Amino acid sequence: MKKAFLIVLALGLTLGMVAYAETYKVASDTTWPPFEWADAEGNLLGFDLDLVRCIGALQGFDVEITSYDWDIIFDDVGSGRMDIGASGATITADRELKVDFSNPYWTSDQAVLVRVDSGLNIITALAGGYTVGAQLETTGAGIISGLVDEGIDVELTEYTLYPLAVLDLINGNIDAVIQDEPASVASATAEEAIQVAGVIKTNENFGLFVAEGDPKGLLTLLNDGVAQLKANGAYNDLVTAYMGTDLQKVEAAWKASIGLLNDGDVVAFAASMATLANE
Amino acid sequence: MSTILQSLQMMVERGLPTTILLTLGLLGMGLLMGYPIAFLQVYGPRPVRWFCHGYEQVFRGIPAIVLILLFHSGLSRTFGILLPAFASGLLALGLRSSAYQSQIFRGAIQSVSEGQMQAARSVGMSKLQAIRHIILPQAFRLSIPPWTNEYSSVLKDTSLASAIGVHELMKQTTLIYTRVQFTRGVEWILVILILVALIYWVLTFVGNTALGYLEKRTRIPGFETKGQVDR
Repeated sequence: MKKAFLIVLALGLTLGMVAYAETYKVASDTTWPPFEWADAEGNLLGFDLDLVRCIGALQGFDVEITSYDWDIIFDDVGSGRMDIGASGATITADRELKVDFSNPYWTSDQAVLVRVDSGLNIITALAGGYTVGAQLETTGAGIISGLVDEGIDVELTEYTLYPLAVLDLINGNIDAVIQDEPASVASATAEEAIQVAGVIKTNENFGLFVAEGDPKGLLTLLNDGVAQLKANGAYNDLVTAYMGTDLQKVEAAWKASIGLLNDGDVVAFAASMATLANE
Repeated sequence: MSTILQSLQMMVERGLPTTILLTLGLLGMGLLMGYPIAFLQVYGPRPVRWFCHGYEQVFRGIPAIVLILLFHSGLSRTFGILLPAFASGLLALGLRSSAYQSQIFRGAIQSVSEGQMQAARSVGMSKLQAIRHIILPQAFRLSIPPWTNEYSSVLKDTSLASAIGVHELMKQTTLIYTRVQFTRGVEWILVILILVALIYWVLTFVGNTALGYLEKRTRIPGFETKGQVDR
């Protein structure tokens, strides 16, 4: 009888705790390794996503990640339908009109991909009358349309999904692709036919974002979370794990380590990721 | 080979259920709304007829993707109504389908000769009784072949809902080919797209075959749609 009482009590407490952990809805365009993608079993992983998961573990909230098309994320986070945007988003004035950004958590540059056999360098690719592909409404697309406005001889083709731009490049339908450096490097590593022709130093800052005015008070949680992760070394470990490493190795590392994060041990999770991904 | 099987498994497990649910929802919504609209457009009082005509014209005249974005972002931006992505997709595509289906049913209703309505009224049936007992049973049968077409097109329209974050078959496919491009090479995108095309084709084939069977079962000698298709 006493035992039954204890079990009921334990159950009640567990349920109570589950009910109390707030769940926030995270939107991400999960077609953008190494920042966010899905592994062979459909698990969503990536630098951004694990960053948010780790913040959640530290700040006591759960995250529910939904795969989004890039061009609608800002609308849906801005309207409050989704709580947090974590999608390698550069902080720009235009986007600030729709959403509020966290402090920068990553600095990126733009890299230009070309076919190895094309012989193009970054100058000829962008000013030699060639067609450059970019994902819709990205900084890269903005740079090229800026060049077009200045009367430079270059054409822009926009894609809803980044992988399709790379596919078109390899197939020879376009001559170059402009995209943030880590994603470009990941593509060039995976494909022998293409290479990074050069990097444009844009020093863009990535930010997580929430609805304008931050109605749920999430920015403090996010900013404070990133600061804690930087202080305890987990942030650096995640960078080591995700940046410039083989995607399949990262996936294996993630599968082996995620249990630690589920148990709430952020530091051990990140350390394990960093070690296993670089083995 | 294992990539193919694994991709298929992911599509079936993570994408297909939502696609099927959305398709059934759209067809059901279109059916429930389409029949009343069609009957009102044919037998309703004049202002109602005009309204139904306007409704059908509006929803057939706007591209599906525009409707989806209107119901998703438009409603939330302007009125602060935050429907979940699945609900906005269902609503937008469902209203659109109801407009198309209403025209299928209107065609079927009007192909039952007007004399039958007059005959029914002359033996003392009310308009509703005549519709219920005379017109509807015949119109239903006649509407099956064109309705098969609507099933095929609605099924594939559901892929548009991926644009607003509904995790259906096409969305799952983009996730798969993103990964496969990075791990197996860019030529695999084609393989994955062929796989998803195959799934959509099988769904269409199975649905059409089932509806063809229904068509056969409900046929009445002398009142069938003329001619036969070998299946």
